[in-house]
Amino acid sequence: MNSDLRSELHKKAEQAWPDLELLIGWQAGYDDLHTTPVFIRDSAEISKLIWNPWCTQNLAVYVAKHFAASSGKDDKKIGVCVKGCDSRSLIALLQENLVARERFYIIGMPCKGIVDLRKLHALSGAARILSVQVNAEQVALKSAAGVLHFPLDEVLMRKCRRCRYPNPLIHDVLVGDPLTPRTDAHEAYNDVAAIERLSLQERLAFWQGELDRCLRCYACRNACPLCVCQDRCIAETRDPKWLTQYMHLPEKFMFHFIHALHLAGRCTECGECERVCPMEIPVALIKEALNKITLELLDFEAGLDPQRVPPLLTFDAGETGI
Amino acid sequence: MTQSHDNPAHKQALTIVGFLCNWCSYGGADTAGVCRFKQPTDLRIIRVPCTGRMDPLFIARSLILGADGVLVSGCHPKDCHYAVGNLYARRRLEVLKRMLPFMGIDGDRFRYTWVSASEGQRWQQVVTEFSEQIRSLGPNPGVTGKSAAAATA
Repeated sequence: MNSDLRSELHKKAEQAWPDLELLIGWQAGYDDLHTTPVFIRDSAEISKLIWNPWCTQNLAVYVAKHFAASSGKDDKKIGVCVKGCDSRSLIALLQENLVARERFYIIGMPCKGIVDLRKLHALSGAARILSVQVNAEQVALKSAAGVLHFPLDEVLMRKCRRCRYPNPLIHDVLVGDPLTPRTDAHEAYNDVAAIERLSLQERLAFWQGELDRCLRCYACRNACPLCVCQDRCIAETRDPKWLTQYMHLPEKFMFHFIHALHLAGRCTECGECERVCPMEIPVALIKEALNKITLELLDFEAGLDPQRVPPLLTFDAGETGI
Repeated sequence: MTQSHDNPAHKQALTIVGFLCNWCSYGGADTAGVCRFKQPTDLRIIRVPCTGRMDPLFIARSLILGADGVLVSGCHPKDCHYAVGNLYARRRLEVLKRMLPFMGIDGDRFRYTWVSASEGQRWQQVVTEFSEQIRSLGPNPGVTGKSAAAATA
């Protein structure tokens, strides 16, 4: 099934190539478990493109940068492969006029979910995974101890298990057939609700425990497709000086408040911040909580309608209750 | 932070940060002073040009570093000196107010309100109520944990 989709992807990329100056996709990494982004500038490299449940990177993170750098000569476009969640990041960039739609050729990949490597390692218990294969709903994992089988559902990333948009919401061409969503809006914020059920002291203790591990490596920020002011991030500027080099809790809390509040009403829940965190801090939860608030308060979900303005970048004189 | 006051109710001084807009609430507080309305003394006022200037991070930082309360006050909606500053502000401030408890910080330690320059009486009432509320909540533990103690040791 995957090889069918892969050849379909190659075919559609070949067809689109005459209009493209660059195509951003995924390629095989150093083993079966890893993929890396690939930046194709030569049609001979299209065969490198892959599509499987390991294509974890949100390629929308490269979009704003390449849009700014591209010349747009001969009306050539930038091609980009997106999953459902990635397409929302792209729409969020469009909502803020950070990129122009007509400069992009979007290859949409309906996605059944991406495998969480940490879960796979934890479940397998193996020190080294030799190879791995996905057949329909099963993951077959080969290690020195033998072959283990897991249902695909069990090893998916947290964001995929609460996914409401498996199909890209914006695309020029679709690879494969559209899928039915796994959850509805009702269940999507279950993880946030679980924390909300704790007492205030328990919540503080929870976040103190989690954020105490933070190294302030800023990987979460760097992986975020919507953290678009990276070179001028106030977490690192001296003027204004929001953060010091102290490695104590207030600074760590402050950094995550900066990241989360700058994404309030903008975060598309692609989960990249959480995936790249070397300390396995559930940082995406903070943004999900904010999204729940903006949904309830301002009836807005980021990255759905390219025409809508994010709610905190605008106002409504007529609204009441706040 | 302990100060000796004659009034036993004021034994423990509170740190309440007040962000007041230049055009309405700062004037309102001035009016209250000129009229000699009795007010609690726990509020430290920071004047901002408009509530639209309020970065929610100002409030987050104050509470993270252990301020006992934060009060933001500006012109009434639709009465902003800059026409729409407080309309942006109220969305941001409400989102922050609802987000603070998720991180384990009591949302009751933060309040935003609107007081015009002529409402000296209302200002007195707002400050008194909010100070009482913070007093009943007690000192803010902040987010200090073991590593904070180690850093300052």
